Amino acid sequence: MKPTTRTLLTALGLAATATFATGASLTFYEESLPSSMNPLFASSMVDNRVHELVLDRIYHHDPITNELVSDVVERWELADGGKGVRLYLKKGIKWHDGQSMTAEDVCFTIDSMLDEGTPSPIAEKKRAVFAGCDAEKNDVALVKFVKIFHNPLNRLGIHILPKHVFGETAIRPDHQFSNRPVGTGPMKGSMGRRGVVFEKYKNVHHDPQIDQMTLQEGGDPLVQVRTLLNNGVQGIIAVPPPYRADVSASDELTLKSYDLRSWWFVAVNQEKAYLADKRVRQALNLIVDRTDLRQLSIGVKPGEQNSPCEFISGPFVQTSPYYNRSVPTQPRSDKEKAFLLLKEAGLKQVGGRWHYNGQPITMRIGMKAPLNNEAPDLLSQVGNQLGAAGFDRQEFRITVDDWNRKVLTGQATDYDLVVGKWSFGLVEDVNPLFHTRKDNRGALNIFNYANPQVDALLAQFDAARTDTEAKDAYHKLHEKLAEELPYLFLWKLDTKSAWRTEVRGNTISPYFYWTAFDSWKYGS
Amino acid sequence: MNRKLAWALATLCFAVLFVPGLFAPEHLSPPDMANAYLGFSSAPPFGADASGRPLSEYAMQGARVVALPALLAGLLVVFLGTLGGLLACTGSQRAEAAAQGFGEVVGALPRMVVVLVVALLVPKDARSLLPIALTWAVLAAPGAMDEAAAVASRLGGARFVEALRAHGFSRARIYLIHIVGMNLRPVLMRQGVETMMQVVFLEIGLSYLAVQDSQPSFTHGDSEKSWADLLYFGYQAFLDIPSSHGLFLGLALVGVVALMSVFVTQAVRAR
Amino acid sequence: MKRWWIRPLVRVVAACLLPVAVPAVITAFIWALPGDPASIICPPELCGGTAELAEAWNLDQGATHFYTTWMGAAMTGDFGNSWRLQPGVPVGELLASSIPWTAALVVLAFVPLLVGAAGAAARIIPRQVDAILQAVGLTPSVVLALCAAAVVTITYGAFAFDDEAMRVKLLLGALCLGLADQALSGAVTGVRGLMEEERKQRYVQIAILRGESVLSNTLPNTLGALAGQMRARLLHLLSGAVIVEVVIRIDGLGDLLWQGTLSQDFGVVLAAAFGFALLSALLLLLQALVEVATALHVRRSPAGVVS
Repeated sequence: MKPTTRTLLTALGLAATATFATGASLTFYEESLPSSMNPLFASSMVDNRVHELVLDRIYHHDPITNELVSDVVERWELADGGKGVRLYLKKGIKWHDGQSMTAEDVCFTIDSMLDEGTPSPIAEKKRAVFAGCDAEKNDVALVKFVKIFHNPLNRLGIHILPKHVFGETAIRPDHQFSNRPVGTGPMKGSMGRRGVVFEKYKNVHHDPQIDQMTLQEGGDPLVQVRTLLNNGVQGIIAVPPPYRADVSASDELTLKSYDLRSWWFVAVNQEKAYLADKRVRQALNLIVDRTDLRQLSIGVKPGEQNSPCEFISGPFVQTSPYYNRSVPTQPRSDKEKAFLLLKEAGLKQVGGRWHYNGQPITMRIGMKAPLNNEAPDLLSQVGNQLGAAGFDRQEFRITVDDWNRKVLTGQATDYDLVVGKWSFGLVEDVNPLFHTRKDNRGALNIFNYANPQVDALLAQFDAARTDTEAKDAYHKLHEKLAEELPYLFLWKLDTKSAWRTEVRGNTISPYFYWTAFDSWKYGS
Repeated sequence: MNRKLAWALATLCFAVLFVPGLFAPEHLSPPDMANAYLGFSSAPPFGADASGRPLSEYAMQGARVVALPALLAGLLVVFLGTLGGLLACTGSQRAEAAAQGFGEVVGALPRMVVVLVVALLVPKDARSLLPIALTWAVLAAPGAMDEAAAVASRLGGARFVEALRAHGFSRARIYLIHIVGMNLRPVLMRQGVETMMQVVFLEIGLSYLAVQDSQPSFTHGDSEKSWADLLYFGYQAFLDIPSSHGLFLGLALVGVVALMSVFVTQAVRAR
Repeated sequence: MKRWWIRPLVRVVAACLLPVAVPAVITAFIWALPGDPASIICPPELCGGTAELAEAWNLDQGATHFYTTWMGAAMTGDFGNSWRLQPGVPVGELLASSIPWTAALVVLAFVPLLVGAAGAAARIIPRQVDAILQAVGLTPSVVLALCAAAVVTITYGAFAFDDEAMRVKLLLGALCLGLADQALSGAVTGVRGLMEEERKQRYVQIAILRGESVLSNTLPNTLGALAGQMRARLLHLLSGAVIVEVVIRIDGLGDLLWQGTLSQDFGVVLAAAFGFALLSALLLLLQALVEVATALHVRRSPAGVVS
């Protein structure tokens, strides 16, 4: 960097630090702006994180002890023969507009989810859980479930909405709440065109230490990291792997783990004739060299210690209790074995290109476009490897809208392969990903994968009453999926946040990030 | 500048820009990290990107993306401009009013939005600059038609035609040779080549916005690179990444396009 | 001679049609886009309520119904709420906050064009400068905007949306708009060409012999054409503003239009397109007015002279 530029930026940084010496205001970069401040219409992790700052969930997991706790419920008891839960709310909790939070708000939230006029995929899922709610007293709500759950409080991780803001239980996505929400969380939020501004709101159950925060859309990761280094911002929620070395090298910054339990995959479309054969899928699994892919797209060199990117062999991260360690990963390609499998499956190589039933195979490979920020060029690297193995290919980046509208609903069947990433909270429920798509099940089954044995294992998990039973079911599932390969499982990529050292007490909660925001401090 | 020299330079620019597109690879070369960020001298002719892939492939693929659509858009504007000029020579007030009305409405449409919507409409398998280029040409046509009509009016319009008819020339000859060939040609060629230039710049703009917004490309398949990718790579030089060779190459390509437009304008100027 | 009013009349008719026609054309285009905003938010395969949402947003009865309902509301100033870009925010509010930015950008970019045009008309700007202006004008606006964006990013970082940074962005954006894509050079050479052609007319030579000023004789006759040129330049600037606003991140109408189209927020797209159409219509009316006034002035005969 030229001396004059460096001097100017250092001066700006110092000036900025001086301005923030009071610890009042903090700015951070997010992956994008939230699509909506209404949790019913959350469609990305950015949305989930923002909602955590502004609204309270009835129950949540303590980020340190992992216990199920609540900021709004004083005590609870089972009711209705186990099909209900009676919640005794804490007194004195206020909404950001000064109104008191009551049991009616809890019941309104559930009623709005049950209302068919609320066009929300999230609400749709909750209709299979909740049967209704009664506000028995001002601070007592009876939540009713459709059946007995062995862990009912786990089902109450929903954000509470204010009844007095909405006129009716049918909530539309273009209600002003989606832009200027009213919550009971530690911060009051308001979304603009370029960012979200949060202001502290002290409550009986929240005492935030930071007066104001601003969320900005990150844009180019390199610019983000440079700005952070120069104290133009104080944090970045997700630092792409190629830039983490720069952050680590600075004494003024800290890299912190953000447990997102996300894993990357290549979904395989078994509705394509040649991919319906398991041997072809296994061959593709052997063609993909994960070590090379990881090095070229994420920047992790082979043999690197403490790699943020661990290979996986099934639909769980290695630290998950559901991960089956007896199923090995495939870090390196084995083209010889792969070609044998392809030939066994009836494919023929003509002029270096694979043919099926006399027709040359051209693979259409898609990838969710924003993932390119985390793993630059991954799509073309996958394409390169398949091309080198003799498959012609076309690569496509898929917009977020098309991903939600077509890929997740099982309509993207013109693709052969789709590269994506799933993120889970503490509850790793993969049933929607692999169950046969019918009767509201398999809602996220990308290529409409259908396997009765897999369905049976998923049903076994659903019926599990103990953790051991659940683990057993998912271990078998892992083994089965590693053999069937509806997905080529790639890796789990650690998500890291970067914060300036002036930001202290910054405990990052798994998945929701800001759950412990009350302890965050900034400045002197 | 001498006309022959201008034509020669224009042809050279066209060849430098678009002929390599005919030999562009379908996919970029596999990465070679040993060559990452190498400059012109270390990895001739144009250096390499962050994965060690030659930037010459970016240039060639970019040329393939823009060559044919830009040419066709230019030709469309020439055609519509010719129509505008010839309409002015018919002496028909109704035709003139209709052409003017068309021009006013089309000219008032927000171009970038119409272009973007057309880009979003194209199925992903058929994603190409061509529909966007033709849309741009239609939106730019009113300007060309107006200018051609103004030139035709200065000739005398219908009276010019009648005068030449009195000399025994056929209508076809009058329109094609005397009006279009001798008088409208400089205007039409200039408009055509300017439209070509605008289409190339439009492609760079749209591709850059797509890259910036993490969107799939609007103008070409995602397997290909465009000249905007060169600029996006080169832009990082402002942030101390050794990618200035990408910036130079991108700007040089833009410069050659602009020069081609200048040389063609010089070559066809009225005698 | 008697038909001089046809061109201004066509402009007036076009100006009246524009605010109605442009949204209609845009509606037809965006209706053809795959999917619709309701099914993006709530894919029918994943949730119920899509049909009700589509009904609430008038998406269920075809493009004509949507357009007529929207147009009827727009005439009363009601543009509805944004669906996806800024959900819940009234579109009118978004427009109101965007228009001043675009207006400032375009006006700032237009000032040098006006000065250049005046200088060319008055022969203050020598021809030798044309080559320089044309060379600069060959730069596409996206390249200049990129350089401006780099300057802002390096200088302001995360404060790139504070007041001072927005002012700097505005100035840089206006510079890009005004110089790039032959905006300034086109204004200078276009006006010069027009005035030079007019100066060759015999009446001008006679006026010079009579000791009259050239400008006072040529200006009334060229005012209509000059107004047309300046209107075309303004439209060109408005069109170019989209790319400049998006690259430099100015919260103007062009950026709103771009983001709205990407997110299929029909209300925002139509309202912004309507705004552009109104501006264009206004410019058309102004030009027609100038043409009529000039024609009446030029045709006004002294007493006793038979026309």
